[in-house]
Amino acid sequence: MSEVHFKVAIIGGGPAGIGAAVGLAKRGVGPIVLIERRGEVGGTPMGYRKKPGGVPTFVEWTRGRVVFGEELAGRLTKRLAQTSTTIRLNTQVTKIYPAEKRLTLLGPDGFEDIVADAVVLAAGAREQTPAEKGWLAGSRTARVGFTRHVTGWLDRHGLLPARKPIVVGSDLIAYSAAAKLCALGSDEPVMIDRRRSPEASFFERLFFRRWTRPDWSGGVSTVEIKGHGSPTHLESSNGQEWQGDGVIICGQLVPNTELALMAGMAVDLPSRQLQLAQGQALSQPGWFAAGNVLGGFHGAQWCYFNGCSVARSVARFL
Amino acid sequence: MTQFGTWQPKIRGRLYYNWPRGTCEEALRFTGSEQLGLEPYDLVIIGAGVVGCGLAYQLSQYELRVLLVDRLHDVGEGTSKANSAIIHTGYDAKPGTLESELLQEARAAWPDLAARLKIPVDPIGGIMLSVTDEQERQLTAAEKNAHANQATDVRILSAAEIREREPNASPDVRGGLLVPGESVGDPFMASIAYAEVALANGVDILLGTGIAGVELGQAPGAPVHHLVTDDGHRLPARRIINVAGLGSRRLADGYGGGAFDINPRRGQFVLFDKCARSLVRHMLLPMPSAHTKGVLVSPTIFGNLLAGPTAEDLPLDDPEATHTTVEGIRKVMEGGSRLVNGLTQQPVIATYAGARCACNQGSYMIRYNDGAPGVVTVTGVRSTGLTTSNSLARYLVDGMQKELGLELFSDTVALNARPESAWPGWWRRPFEDGVSDARSDHGCAVCFCEVISEGEIRDALDSPIRPRTMDALKRRTRALMGRCQGFDCKVPLAELVSGHTGIGIEQLTNNGPGSELVAPGQTVCPKEVSV
Repeated sequence: MSEVHFKVAIIGGGPAGIGAAVGLAKRGVGPIVLIERRGEVGGTPMGYRKKPGGVPTFVEWTRGRVVFGEELAGRLTKRLAQTSTTIRLNTQVTKIYPAEKRLTLLGPDGFEDIVADAVVLAAGAREQTPAEKGWLAGSRTARVGFTRHVTGWLDRHGLLPARKPIVVGSDLIAYSAAAKLCALGSDEPVMIDRRRSPEASFFERLFFRRWTRPDWSGGVSTVEIKGHGSPTHLESSNGQEWQGDGVIICGQLVPNTELALMAGMAVDLPSRQLQLAQGQALSQPGWFAAGNVLGGFHGAQWCYFNGCSVARSVARFL
Repeated sequence: MTQFGTWQPKIRGRLYYNWPRGTCEEALRFTGSEQLGLEPYDLVIIGAGVVGCGLAYQLSQYELRVLLVDRLHDVGEGTSKANSAIIHTGYDAKPGTLESELLQEARAAWPDLAARLKIPVDPIGGIMLSVTDEQERQLTAAEKNAHANQATDVRILSAAEIREREPNASPDVRGGLLVPGESVGDPFMASIAYAEVALANGVDILLGTGIAGVELGQAPGAPVHHLVTDDGHRLPARRIINVAGLGSRRLADGYGGGAFDINPRRGQFVLFDKCARSLVRHMLLPMPSAHTKGVLVSPTIFGNLLAGPTAEDLPLDDPEATHTTVEGIRKVMEGGSRLVNGLTQQPVIATYAGARCACNQGSYMIRYNDGAPGVVTVTGVRSTGLTTSNSLARYLVDGMQKELGLELFSDTVALNARPESAWPGWWRRPFEDGVSDARSDHGCAVCFCEVISEGEIRDALDSPIRPRTMDALKRRTRALMGRCQGFDCKVPLAELVSGHTGIGIEQLTNNGPGSELVAPGQTVCPKEVSV
């Protein structure tokens, strides 16, 4: 097995990983390797394709403009291309050795070990599963998916994941999913959450009002998905019922901290939150984290700048 | 030397899905019984669960024309897919019963069977824990019972011995019973492996085909019966074996079988992340009550941790027999926490429920010539079905020889093991194993949680029991089964399946027609649509 040495290895080619690569390149640190498990860099925003009349769902704060995720990712990728970062696509980190800062990668050419002087974990986050929520049970039917699937079906294939969707969750992601569904011709979604009032702010809701005015039910206790093969309705423990042919589970991001967790670094359970020291350093020296892997929900722009700022800590460490 | 008209050696069985046009390749699609040949089958097995597949495997060793038919859309998709995957030693069975006898036979035969059929089994051993004084007193009786079942290596452990073996056992543990022979297996691969060998030996498999009724043959002696499918096809059969599990009652009504009652007994499970695996070393079992064996905590063959099941008796035909409930999951967590410290702190990735086929007339109820000559009813196989799948099949074949006058001639060219193939199961990792045929798509992960590559998915799609639903693919490859539960890989996986099989992405289903991945009735739009 070959073993290549890099100054910094960045795990994840989303906005945060790109930010870290750009930030490090600005400080003259190199060589850098960026490891991305998908076939393209750009991360989650890449899924939000640009279409005439589509729902723009990413905000570029510097200019106060609302743009499509793909456009934003494109700009970030351009900045990345100006650096001399080595990019490994379709490559996944399968194992990490924290003390040696060694990573085992699996890519199209098989396994490979790389060693770095510092590692930035920018693996992003995913949406909480029904089982993780703990209050959503019932049948395991088809068409119980995440916002990621909405963008996948709609933007890549032009297919509606549900004609009468039920959106679980009420944050910005939930409203953007509802807007996208409505824009392609689904019925007005039902939106349910445990919270009494929607998590998205008034202005966020106002922005999406152009496309969607979901049928809101707050303060639900426990909910079961009913149906065989396909969902037919949701039923709450107090007898409320919502009809629908698909369930979209939105928001409540869970950080992808598995690599750190399996390698024995300090991670809180069951939240999977990384325990961070000064400068977004992890419990092992030379390991840093950036972007949504820190926990919580942040926009792509925030993640990019967070990546840039972690680059400062990394450069100081080196 | 063929005794049965149409039997021919070394001809593979046929596999069909009774699905609408466009939902699978035309070559796999069932369009009429003439595809299966005109001669009646010597035996038709109704129910392709682990019992039915095990029986098909056993019968495929003889010169017989056999059909395996199921309402669902993959082998082992009903009760066989949602259980605790334990290969039991039978230490706690009631001595002298058929179940105990079959378990004892299975205990001796499993290592060889698993090796031949390439079914992963991990002999982790079990410890039954007592947490109250009363339970501690019951341990001696449990040990005696185990020894009566020939499980002579079972012995009582003190609290200190348990603490040494299981540092995370609950502080309430007073003592326990060590059962070294308890193993965990792969519940999905057992059915698939049986079916693959059966198919190679000439057994035909028809999936997605419900049996609406039985037209009994009136001829004296050995009449030919006809099974009528939901969509009106007639399948001729000399003998019918009803191993339809929860559906066995309704099917038995169709041929006038004797009285028995089935109650689905729901069991809910909680599956923990792989990081929780290190919490326990053995399978930890509670002391059983009169009603249930209780909530156990066990590692799985895949490296997760599992807690469950509950035991909830539901009326027959309850459509919610395999639904989870928030209340049920809470009970599983409570039960698991009684055995293991810190279980509630572990991240949960999924919950699921299965329904045991509990028969009020007792377990392992077998009736020959039930209602009509040549009809066999087998029902009431509950938790031990996976373990006894082969020993029960042998027992049934013997029984049919005696009771049905089934003439058996060994098929000298039949396989009794799964042959080497490009895709034996999820555990074959081309690059890890350093096999020479590793392709570049074996390095491109599509399921990131379980690190399953595009190449492995393609290999699995081409495996003998062609999986054509997302659930079937999930059970074979573990893609969609990781901690993100399909968040990252659902859509790319559907694209991959569509690309490899030519099935339109809008036609793909979770588990057969009626469970489309996107809202049904859509035609594919051009790639770039205006929304």
